[in-house]
Order: sequence, then structure tokens, then C-alpha cells
Amino acid sequence: MPTLDQTYAHIRGLLIELFEVEPEKIRPEARLAQDLEIDSIDAIDLVLKLKDYTGRKIKPEEFKHVQTVGDVANAVQAIVSAAA
Amino acid sequence: MSAPLPPSGPLNRAWRIVGTGLSFTLFGVVGLLAGLTVFPLLGLSSRDPDVSRRRCQWLVSRWFGLFAGFMRLVGVMSVEIHGAEKLRRPGVMIIANHPSLIDVVLLIAHVPEVDCIVKRAVFENPFMRWPATFARYICHNTPEQLIADCTTALRRGHSLMIFPESTRTVPGQPIRMMHGAARIALEARATVLPVTITCEPLTLSKGLPWYRVPARRAHYTLTVGDPYPVPVFDAGHASAAARRLTHQWEQYFAARTGTAAAHPAPPLADGAGHPQYSR
Repeated sequence: MPTLDQTYAHIRGLLIELFEVEPEKIRPEARLAQDLEIDSIDAIDLVLKLKDYTGRKIKPEEFKHVQTVGDVANAVQAIVSAAA
Repeated sequence: MSAPLPPSGPLNRAWRIVGTGLSFTLFGVVGLLAGLTVFPLLGLSSRDPDVSRRRCQWLVSRWFGLFAGFMRLVGVMSVEIHGAEKLRRPGVMIIANHPSLIDVVLLIAHVPEVDCIVKRAVFENPFMRWPATFARYICHNTPEQLIADCTTALRRGHSLMIFPESTRTVPGQPIRMMHGAARIALEARATVLPVTITCEPLTLSKGLPWYRVPARRAHYTLTVGDPYPVPVFDAGHASAAARRLTHQWEQYFAARTGTAAAHPAPPLADGAGHPQYSR
């Protein structure tokens, strides 16, 4: 089972690969919408890609309160931990 | 740019306030009456719903042209347009910046057949709902549905009009566009036709009540750019491609309106099809 750090690193990689976000902008407290310009359509793409990492499809409700990169990592880590 | 013109006198200003109020009232009343009479007639005039749609869209265009004429007659504003004939090309995706409330009216007046995106509130507004309904305008419910509907429209050969900022430009702020429009363009492999709109002095901008008419009669300039095909992109990189295209559009409009763009954008490599910076 990956650690939170590994999960965070994976998400960081996805943000760079999928959205060409500048690496230095990615911090745990960076807000997806306001700081990284990730809109709702982008979020759908991200969630789809995360399915490969978590091993199952992620429901939109699980990401309802996600605002920052740190939130994403925590939410994904929770899914991964639950599955373990 | 030449020195700013002097403000008009108080009488002219008062007249323009009255004229603006009158114009809005006329717009609402005609919208309501026509929505209950001519639009349903035209909207049900053909067995082919597509023919009815086109007729109703044509009617909207004609009415908006008359309305713009009324506003000019009354002295509320003046308008000039360059390259209007390019707007009559079918199946293009028209994108424009959005400094002022009536931009869309002035632009549609020159496009006889075009699908427009309207907020759900328009379909609930008694003065606008029936014309919008019979013209088969695209309702904005969710982002995914909107992108799907718009892509379908373009693929069917309709022209589509989008204001990528999705709201009026905040005066003094950089031009910031949403990615949705670029997504649609890329998905539908659209031919993009940019139109730059300026309003000098600025009126009916975001946050400004309608009666705050400017010091002088507002002058609108609509400049139609050249159509170009969007670049083809890798299927797995739709988000990144949409982002890049959006930033290029921001640069394009910022350059032509003397404002800043929200994001820097490197120019596209040659051969990929791109807004001509020089025009």
C-alpha cells in the first residue's frame, strides 16, 4: 500500500502530465480552481486517471470537499487505505 | 490612439439615460410579444425542426439588427463592424471577448444563423424564454452537458457563438477565459472565428447599473478576425491542449483590446493553425 507521500507524488505527476501545471505551483495548500486553473471538466479527467491508481472508480461525492492538492492526496489515500 | 473626446453635456447625458431605459423596455416588451406570436408561428412552421430553428435564429438576428438600429437612432450608442461578411460563413465557432452587456446583441445582428449558449435563467425569464426556446439555443446546465451539446451542434454544421470568458470582462482586470470553449473547439475540430469587441467609453460593463451611462455616447467596434482550424491534439491530452488554446485566445484578445491576458502563452509551432497575431 502506498504512503501518503507516494500518493501525493503521484498526484503531482498527474497534474503536470495532464494539465501542464508548472511544478513549482504544486504545493499541498495550492487550490485546484483558483491557483492551478483546474476546472470541473479537468477534475473529471483527473478522477478518471486516478482510477488506475486506486484500483476502482471514484465517485464524485468522495471528492466533494476537495479544494487543494493536499485534499486530493488525502481523499485518494483514504480510498487506497480502505481497499487495503 | 488619439486624445480622448470631451464629455457631452448634461442634457445629452440625461437623454442617453432615458434612451437606455427605453431601449431595455423595448427589448423586453418585443421579446415577450414576439415570443408569444411570431416565434411560435415560425418555430412550428416546418415539419423539419432544423428549418424552423434556422428561421427563428434568422428572426432573432433581424430583430437584434433593428434593435441596434433603434439604439443608434436614439443616440445611446454608435457601432462599426469590420469583416462582417466572414460571419456569414456556415459552421464556424465564433468566439468573442465580452466587455459590455449588449455585445451579444450587436454580434448576433450580423450572423443570420447561429447557435448561442444561454444561462438557464434566460429560459426562465418571460421576456426571453420563448425566442430562446424556438431558436433552439443551447442551455447551460452542467459543464459536461454543455460541451457535449456544443460539440454536437458544430458537428452538425451549425455555427456556434461562445464568449469564452463566460461573463463580462471585469474592467481593469486581465482577460481570463474558461477552458470549456477551447475543449469544444478541439473536440469538434472546429474552425474558429474570433471577433474582437471594444466599447469606448465603456458602458454596461460588469458591475455597472444600466443608468450609469458614460460621459460620452459609447462607440462599439466589432472586428472580425480570420477563421482558422484548431490544431489536432493527442487524445490523452485534451486538458492540456484546451488550456494552451485558451491562453492563446487570451493573448489574442488582450493584444487587441489593450488589456493584459491572465496567462502567458507561447505561440503555437508553425503549421498547427493559429490566430494570426499580426492581424
